[in-house]
Amino acid sequence: MMKMVQKATPWERFNHWVLLLSFFVLTLTGLGFLYNSLSWINTAFGGVHLARGIHNWAGIIFAASLVLTMANYLGESLKFGSDDFAWLGQLGGYLSGREAPPQGKLNAGQKLFYLLVLVAGLVICASGLILWMGAAQGTMQLVHLLHNLAFLILVIVVPFHVYAATALNPGTFRIMTRGTVPLKWAKKHHPKWVKELGLE
Amino acid sequence: MTTQVYAQGRTRNQAGRKGLLVTPERCTACRGCQTACKEWNHLLAEKTVNWGTYENPPDLTSNLYNKIRFVEVTGNKDIDWLFISRRCVHCGDAGCMEICPSPGALYRTREGIVAYDRDKCIGCKLCQAGCPFDIPRYDADDRVTKCHLCDDRVPHGLEPACSKVCPTDAIRYGDWQSLIAQAKEEGYQTVYGEKDLAGLGILYAFKEKPEYYGFDSTPGIPASVAFWKGVLKPLSLLGLGASVGAALVHYVTIGPKEDEESEGGAA
Ligand code: SF4
Ligand code: SF4
Repeated sequence: MMKMVQKATPWERFNHWVLLLSFFVLTLTGLGFLYNSLSWINTAFGGVHLARGIHNWAGIIFAASLVLTMANYLGESLKFGSDDFAWLGQLGGYLSGREAPPQGKLNAGQKLFYLLVLVAGLVICASGLILWMGAAQGTMQLVHLLHNLAFLILVIVVPFHVYAATALNPGTFRIMTRGTVPLKWAKKHHPKWVKELGLE
Repeated sequence: MTTQVYAQGRTRNQAGRKGLLVTPERCTACRGCQTACKEWNHLLAEKTVNWGTYENPPDLTSNLYNKIRFVEVTGNKDIDWLFISRRCVHCGDAGCMEICPSPGALYRTREGIVAYDRDKCIGCKLCQAGCPFDIPRYDADDRVTKCHLCDDRVPHGLEPACSKVCPTDAIRYGDWQSLIAQAKEEGYQTVYGEKDLAGLGILYAFKEKPEYYGFDSTPGIPASVAFWKGVLKPLSLLGLGASVGAALVHYVTIGPKEDEESEGGAA
């Protein structure tokens, strides 16, 4: 048996799946609302009326899930050190193929990604709630803009996260399914974390 | 919908367009139009209170698609008491239609009317945010309501209820282009609604500047909506596509980070 380390608790994995699935539903229905040419998506969701209800309630689930992720990732994401800046400076070595500076439990890319998703996510949830509840004309114009601005940020960054967690880094995806990774893998990708755990 | 005339709901060609010409100077504030509109559309009366003016109800509601505004202008001249019909002006370039997320909830008829389909409206209330004139109101089920220029009369060759009852021709119905010509013939140099927003279906023959009547002299789609439509909306799908595309390109060119020594860990 290979020696394994736990990277994500069952709760953390469950919550990440909730976030992922609600995001997926929200993006699909959102695209259906945004583009007339994609309105068939909402037809597939049972018609535009049902799609609106699904979008709004999936938004509530997404918001709750997002807030809960803070317990898991926020503290770690705010620890930005020189290794993190160095990592970002060479884009994690993903373009050059060079060895990246040693990283903690989350690498600098993941930290930055999380902070972006958290901010854009909170903005999209708050503006969505105001759109749902209705407000004065000026407020509606502003939140409508913010809702779409946050959406733009999310649709740009999320695909990179999905790629990084699957095809780009073989072995990463089992964190989402089993929560554990081989110690060897952990040492390679998150050496500072392994050191912290005292497993070296 | 005739596609050559209305590209994506926008008015590109004024031929065939119908409209109203509103001439405040002719209005006696009998409010026959306000009542006829309610009658034709089966809209209930509302309880009003005396708020110091004959103008009532104070605002458009889901039971009031057309109301006569009473405007008192005091200045160096004598007091001017103006009576102006306020309602949806059927913009040639309609902010409400741009922002609506439910296709067909707001749509343009062959006569250029901005009509709506109650069954398709999802009650998001965005059309009010997109409207330069703050017109749409929502009924008890949160569905959109507003003047629809009697889209249940006009296609059948009948004129709208308001213009039909107006005893002084303060509201006249007709061919949009002829109405402009008519107003010019009567000496109105500029007709409000001739140029802005690809033309307004409801034209106003004003003697003074639009501001005098409480109108914006340069109406336009709200800046935030224009920015959303011109930048954010196209960028969203582009951004998503570019990001997915970049990941794919990276995968087939530079490729993944293979860790020979930890390959066994791949799930
Ligand atoms: S006045 Fe407002 S509701 Fe009427 S067509 Fe123009 S944008 Fe739409
Ligand atoms: S309230 Fe109805 S008509 Fe208005 S934008 Fe929303 S779906 Fe469209």
